[in-house]
Amino acid sequence: MSAGAAESLRISARSFVRALWGLDLEVLPLPEVAELRPRRPRFLGTRVWLVNSALRGVPGSFSNYLLAATAHVAAHRAFGFAGARFVVGSLKPAQVAIISLLEDARVERLACERYPGLARLWAPYHEAESQGAKSSGALFARLARALHDDRYEDDDSWVMKARQSFFADRSAWSEPNFLRSLGGRLGNDLGQMRVPFNARDYLVQPAYRDDNTGLWQFEQESWADGTELELEDAQHREPPALADADPQENGAPEPANADASADLERPLALRGKSNAASEAAVRYPEWDYVIRRERAAFCSLWEKPTPAVDAARLDALLARHAPAKRRLERAALRLASHRPIRLRQLTDGDRLDLPAVLESVVARESGVHPDSRVYRRVRFQREPPALLVLLDCSESLNTVPKVGSASILEQARCASALLAQTIGETTRDFAIHGFCSNGRHDVGYFRFKDFDQPYDERARARLAGMRAGLSTRLGSALRHAGRALSARVARRKLLLVVSDGEPSDVDVHDPKYLLFDAKRATQENSTRGVMSFCLGLDSSSESSVRCIFGNGNYVLTDRAERLPELLTRLYLRVAG
Amino acid sequence: MSASVLDALCVREEPYYLPVAGEVSLFEAAYAARMPVMLKGPTGCGKTRFVQYMAFRLGRPLVTVACNEEMSASDLLGRYLLEGGATRWHDGPLTTAARFGAICYLDEVVEARQDTLVVIHPLTDDRRLLSLPAHSEAFQAHPEFQLVVSHNPGYQSALKELKPSTKQRFGAIEFGYPPRAREVEILIHETALAPELAERLVSIAEAARRLKDHGLDEGISTRMLVHAGSLIRHGIGVEAACEMALVRPLTDDADLVRALEASVRACL
Repeated sequence: MSAGAAESLRISARSFVRALWGLDLEVLPLPEVAELRPRRPRFLGTRVWLVNSALRGVPGSFSNYLLAATAHVAAHRAFGFAGARFVVGSLKPAQVAIISLLEDARVERLACERYPGLARLWAPYHEAESQGAKSSGALFARLARALHDDRYEDDDSWVMKARQSFFADRSAWSEPNFLRSLGGRLGNDLGQMRVPFNARDYLVQPAYRDDNTGLWQFEQESWADGTELELEDAQHREPPALADADPQENGAPEPANADASADLERPLALRGKSNAASEAAVRYPEWDYVIRRERAAFCSLWEKPTPAVDAARLDALLARHAPAKRRLERAALRLASHRPIRLRQLTDGDRLDLPAVLESVVARESGVHPDSRVYRRVRFQREPPALLVLLDCSESLNTVPKVGSASILEQARCASALLAQTIGETTRDFAIHGFCSNGRHDVGYFRFKDFDQPYDERARARLAGMRAGLSTRLGSALRHAGRALSARVARRKLLLVVSDGEPSDVDVHDPKYLLFDAKRATQENSTRGVMSFCLGLDSSSESSVRCIFGNGNYVLTDRAERLPELLTRLYLRVAG
Repeated sequence: MSASVLDALCVREEPYYLPVAGEVSLFEAAYAARMPVMLKGPTGCGKTRFVQYMAFRLGRPLVTVACNEEMSASDLLGRYLLEGGATRWHDGPLTTAARFGAICYLDEVVEARQDTLVVIHPLTDDRRLLSLPAHSEAFQAHPEFQLVVSHNPGYQSALKELKPSTKQRFGAIEFGYPPRAREVEILIHETALAPELAERLVSIAEAARRLKDHGLDEGISTRMLVHAGSLIRHGIGVEAACEMALVRPLTDDADLVRALEASVRACL
């Protein structure tokens, strides 16, 4: 199966559980390992890892398998004990496995009460048969089937007793201790039956069920603490090599790309003047609203190099926006190709322009020379505008909003990547630049993707390497961006600014000063034919955003996670 | 158009409409005050049915105009047409409604170009005046005239929007999908489905609605459920009916189709 097809199935699975429970799970491929054992899905928090291609011996289509596996994890998320995980404590490995199995059955039963069709989705994988070996693995698989399928009868008394106790008291299902004590008892019975259990070889059955690591709070763990989802880096950590049910065996692997994340953590001060010294500064004037005069060559803007890092992190973040991306791509294509513009009163055309015909007839009847321009025609969309996205890379972008796990910077990065992907198919006439400042002598300007460059691996790596720090001297950056944009040969030129909307710098104490300078810069740009729009990241800054960009030329949001979609939508709106 | 034409536009039989919140009394009050009304809400949630129902209740003829981008002011107001060797003025739908006191319903009003809509401005403030520059005429709208527009703020909001000066002339009633129990009731009434099956169909709709903004522009509407119910009543299997009426019309995206089909199976 191609990677694209598997990704496509994962998107379906993710939309499926979103539809059923409103859950946002991230469905990711299990990292490839050289292991012969069949593998099981795994989940931690809201992330699910699934095998990348069909497992041998698993019935039905791979697509259904992914749906079944994702729905099972979603049932854990929807009906698990308020997200709490079981504590292993003094439980034996066999008991851990049995309690997991009971919990699997419990959440599936609850899920089926709401969505009865799920039982049919899961049923084909319950293939355990009543007769046969009584190894612990086989018994567990039979118990799983017995708890799933009411009509199933087993000749083993342990299985039937477990089923009977499990369904005896439905009201106890809301008690985690019920499962714990039942599982404990069943584990002891198994011990007394002298059925050995080998945690290392144990493989959860049926194949769509996860390996239970997401259910348990293990003592020796560093990779799976409950809060790991807050950390964006966790996304890159590979899930540990498939663990056995025995918790003691769980290792604590290092994050896979510790180097890359360390690189990202490096302080911004690295972007100091040392590497800028080799380049010449561009000097820009600044508008002083108090003296109502321009201060000539007042600011020095330095084009600074942009470090490139591994773009995997960006891809992972983008994957969350996959559904939005597709929709936007379609909208962009539609917009780029088929927006009709109607022309009337033409000398030739496809159809008659009725009012013009009338006038012409009336003119003729009244003896006046008639106007022969009586046709109309539909012309299609003008070419897309040249676009420059200017990202505010100041310190405030490092804020992590209360809801959500990614910083505003991450979202801005993701937003520009999404936009670039959306329109990259149809045009190269766009650029993604960024800026930050440290006083008027040091306005930094970064070109993540420049005009006419393809939006390729290198551009993405530069985008992934974007960092934020220092202040927001918006005016100079606007002038520089405006200059770059006005040099383009395009009928329309569009500057989209993503910023918190409050210009500030360390050497300026009057908040209005930079505000009016930025307004001035926007006006200058507009006289050069550059239209400016702003996507503001802080709704409390509305007055300053309106002042700089003018009424109707901005969109504000406090929800950084909506940034990627909003930026693209804003583009589609103003470009259309 | 003349007054006799309006007879044909009267709503003679009571359309089925199940009130969800206070929309009926809100509309009646707005009508009493002759305040133009904007109905907002997703497609297929009952806006048009509501207008028909209100026209019936108020005993007014209903003139409906489906707006589109090609529409010009003269399509609303009227124009001269040639008849024999002469030109003759023909009232447009808005003019007819204003002249003879009908309810004029502009469906999907944002689809019309903004400059076209400006013609309704004098009609929708306290002047209630309609001017026909081409006909050199201006008149006060009939006392029973009422303007109603609908628009769907969802999927097109980024691309199309009403001017504030247009928007602010209206009182707005927000429509959503009916609450579960009401939607089941509507479905049973419209399609005579068994209650249990109606519940299942509504569950499917609820699942798809959770995908709005997660790949779908709009969820499954009440209208689509009625379609599915009608197919089932005509002997189509439940899953096939859902496929035809709910899944396929909703999206062309293969991944989403797969997810929706799985959701349909899960709900049944």
